[in-house]
Amino acid sequence: MLKPISSDRWNYSAAAHLLNRAGFGGTPAEVKSLSERGVDGAVDYLLDYEKIPDPTPDPEWAKPDPERMQHLADVIRHGTPEEKRQLQQEYQKQQRQRITELRGWWLQRMATGPRPLQEKMALFWHGHFATSMDKVRDAYYMWRQNDIFRRLATGNWQLLLLEVGKDPAMLVWLDQAQSRREHPNENYAREVMELFALGEGHYTEHDITEAARALTGWSLDRQAQSYIYRPFAHDTGEKTIFGKTGNFDGDDFIGMIVAHPQSAKFITAKIWNYFAGSEPSPELNEALAAELRANGNNFKPFLRTMFRSEEFYSPDIVRNQVKSPVQWLVGSVRVLETELPPPLVSWGMLRQLGQDLFAPPNVKGWDGGVTWITTNTLLTRYNDAQALVQGSLPPLSAGDFGGKGAGNGQKAMRALQRLRVGGVSVEKILTPEERDDNHAIIASLQNRLFQTNLKQDQQEALQEFLDSKAKMSDADILTAIRLMMSTPEYQVT
Amino acid sequence: MKKEITLQTRREFLRRTVLGSALSWTVPAFLSNTFSALQAEAAASATQITTGKDSTILVVLQMAGGNDGINTVVPYANDFYHRARPRIGLKAADVLKLNDNVGLHGALKGFKDLYDGGQLSVIQGVGYPNPNRSHFRSTEIWQTASDSEQVEKHGWLGRYFDNACAGADPAVGVAIGNQLPEAFFAAKPKGVCFSNPQNYRFIANGNETEESYKKLNELETSGPGMSSDDSAPDMQNSGGSIAMLPAGMPMTGGRAIDFISRTALDAQHSSDEIRGIAARVQNQSVYPNSPLAGSLKLVARLIGGGLPTRVYYVSQGGYDTHTNQIPTQQRLLQDLGDSTKAFVDDMKAQGNMQRVVVMTFSEFGRRVAENANGGTDHGAAAPMFIVGDKVKAGLLGNYPSLAPQDLFQGDIKFNVDFRSVYASVLENWLHTKSAPILGRQFPILQVV
Repeated sequence: MLKPISSDRWNYSAAAHLLNRAGFGGTPAEVKSLSERGVDGAVDYLLDYEKIPDPTPDPEWAKPDPERMQHLADVIRHGTPEEKRQLQQEYQKQQRQRITELRGWWLQRMATGPRPLQEKMALFWHGHFATSMDKVRDAYYMWRQNDIFRRLATGNWQLLLLEVGKDPAMLVWLDQAQSRREHPNENYAREVMELFALGEGHYTEHDITEAARALTGWSLDRQAQSYIYRPFAHDTGEKTIFGKTGNFDGDDFIGMIVAHPQSAKFITAKIWNYFAGSEPSPELNEALAAELRANGNNFKPFLRTMFRSEEFYSPDIVRNQVKSPVQWLVGSVRVLETELPPPLVSWGMLRQLGQDLFAPPNVKGWDGGVTWITTNTLLTRYNDAQALVQGSLPPLSAGDFGGKGAGNGQKAMRALQRLRVGGVSVEKILTPEERDDNHAIIASLQNRLFQTNLKQDQQEALQEFLDSKAKMSDADILTAIRLMMSTPEYQVT
Repeated sequence: MKKEITLQTRREFLRRTVLGSALSWTVPAFLSNTFSALQAEAAASATQITTGKDSTILVVLQMAGGNDGINTVVPYANDFYHRARPRIGLKAADVLKLNDNVGLHGALKGFKDLYDGGQLSVIQGVGYPNPNRSHFRSTEIWQTASDSEQVEKHGWLGRYFDNACAGADPAVGVAIGNQLPEAFFAAKPKGVCFSNPQNYRFIANGNETEESYKKLNELETSGPGMSSDDSAPDMQNSGGSIAMLPAGMPMTGGRAIDFISRTALDAQHSSDEIRGIAARVQNQSVYPNSPLAGSLKLVARLIGGGLPTRVYYVSQGGYDTHTNQIPTQQRLLQDLGDSTKAFVDDMKAQGNMQRVVVMTFSEFGRRVAENANGGTDHGAAAPMFIVGDKVKAGLLGNYPSLAPQDLFQGDIKFNVDFRSVYASVLENWLHTKSAPILGRQFPILQVV
């Protein structure tokens, strides 16, 4: 198990597979350059991303704002109903703008940033610790959590659980902020075991009750906008968790989770599924868990072994994963060498496709896999492909822009009229020689979009389409690209 | 009789489903492979296969945001009510009286007409144990029909599709909107959703593009699937095709691509059919001008056009009335009553009303006491409405007590579990066993 892939099986296609899964795919030139590094070099290049400078600045509002929090608190305490309403509206508007900006900021990092694997892991953690702006209601908190996911993207399991658990977004999201020893709130205690670290069947209801007591004291300082430990809220009595008894606190409890034999199995199965696209076999899962434990629960060496392993390049793994909407959008932008649509448009697309960043459907995150595909989302992908390729806007309706009042949608629609999507430049992706030969056009585009060939009949259909054009225009070529993206084959990677 | 239904549905099945209609086209290889398996599954299904033009239809209407049930079905003669709501309490003159104690909000004229016509059932005090006051979580509980403490992966309608609709047309469930509601989430995804039938299609800039799209999405698989060594054109600088990966590698990518190919066929069929119906069938009553009315108009046309759908899902938002509730709720309930009434008139004109039942729900009701902003905060139990020719019309159950000592944390207590209502609709209207869908047997109410 987990033997390194032999060097004679490392080639362009294998490199493309690695780049698609450990990142968001890339141009033929990028795949070629990765393949030339050899498998170890390629994996190191993607994984040791700290060596590559990342100059992207944080959003300028990504810091605590105690004055503003104080003002909010004052108005809530002493303001008139009218003042409160006004402030609330102002605050909601500001938060809406910021979360839209944050979505665009993150997508931009994925689409053009120099560290695709770091972002891909951040996206994994976001889906894993699925936290939504709908309840957190503070874009700064959402950014902070996202920053942890990035900073500890390939870091230590226990450290990550501790930092995420003590971060404001999670404290609000699963109500830990309100937990007191008189009334321990069990929400976080339950989900950290059920959804984040162990899975059902590996703890009892009693463990939840006791763990909730251990976690009391973890709280949120709303004015400082940061974690605070409140000794008076903490239950100092004895607790029994996983059959062990002691005066445990929250840190002890997280340590006990990570020490639980199921923990490494649980998280490595989920990571494997995210990158490989299917559940690992029990034997593979054991091997993956052993690898994580052997590396002190650090994800980086674990991922290095995983991305080099024979299993990762096995036939039932390659080109058998449904692209998530983010993978579809970001990957298309990368592979077509175009620009990400403006944040509002990207957001509208991802919402329609079922992956609204910073607003996962619930604490379980996105189900992923084939559930990304419905008749509606498939047609939407096909139509959004036209927008990306040809630079025309997708068919969005006011309702796509959320907001409870219709006014927000209307406003967004008006703003949208002024926006344009990039579109693809034919000169960038086809050489003049390729451009003159329909067969070469199809071959080149297939290599770019699929790194393999479509079915013979599909190639013929495309050939027919191109041959039907007496004088081929760039627009015809763009239509051909859009058609290739409007296939079941383009939805997998 | 039972046998006849099976035969009828088998024929329907062959005629209408993707598998059946694929027979007249080019049958992709993976479809012919799975055909017999699916057919066996359909035959083994405990209840009738749920396609066909003559089956009963359920329209689920979500009132999103948490409707204030107390100002919807109003205990206008109750002192506790007026004491708790000095500003927003509705007076006897403001309500449409159903009896000496209870009346409908004055804006619900449409519902009052239905009530008087014996087509409206009002189930009072519906909720669930340990109510959750989060929109998100409580909506999820209603959508998945789970216990309050339990997170359930699939929706209650999704489980209905899984249990009772194997082999049915993909359009057995239709949600009007961009996203499939969580209620539709299923082990074997089924159901289509769209907001605008005009956009529910492949948008092509020319006939040739449209033709090419169809070819690219309908082709019979040639051999093992994508690519093969000899047909692969040279890839410049590629260092070899993907076929140089481990020997014997299937190029189709296995099941993921099969699933998507099938969905692509479903999309093509249903979008043609739905757009065809939407263009052909006219509404036969006058609806208000609102998003909800737009959704119901569309549902009416799809029913009129004979789409083999058992469950339609529409949604109306905006009920989260923390501040200045009176005008907001007035507008929403007016829309709700008038739109529903127009839909019923439309169904009647089509001759389909005896086949249709509309059921409303909201994730929670609201606190008994009004708040300081002329609104109400998140609460618990609330009424549900069921509309249809064959419903047990009238006020069902008892109005939960508003006496302060009877409240739980300021909320009225439920006396009907919403899953009892679901169970009743599943058993008495959709004619399927409810326990496998809802996880256990809930009491059946005589509502339909």
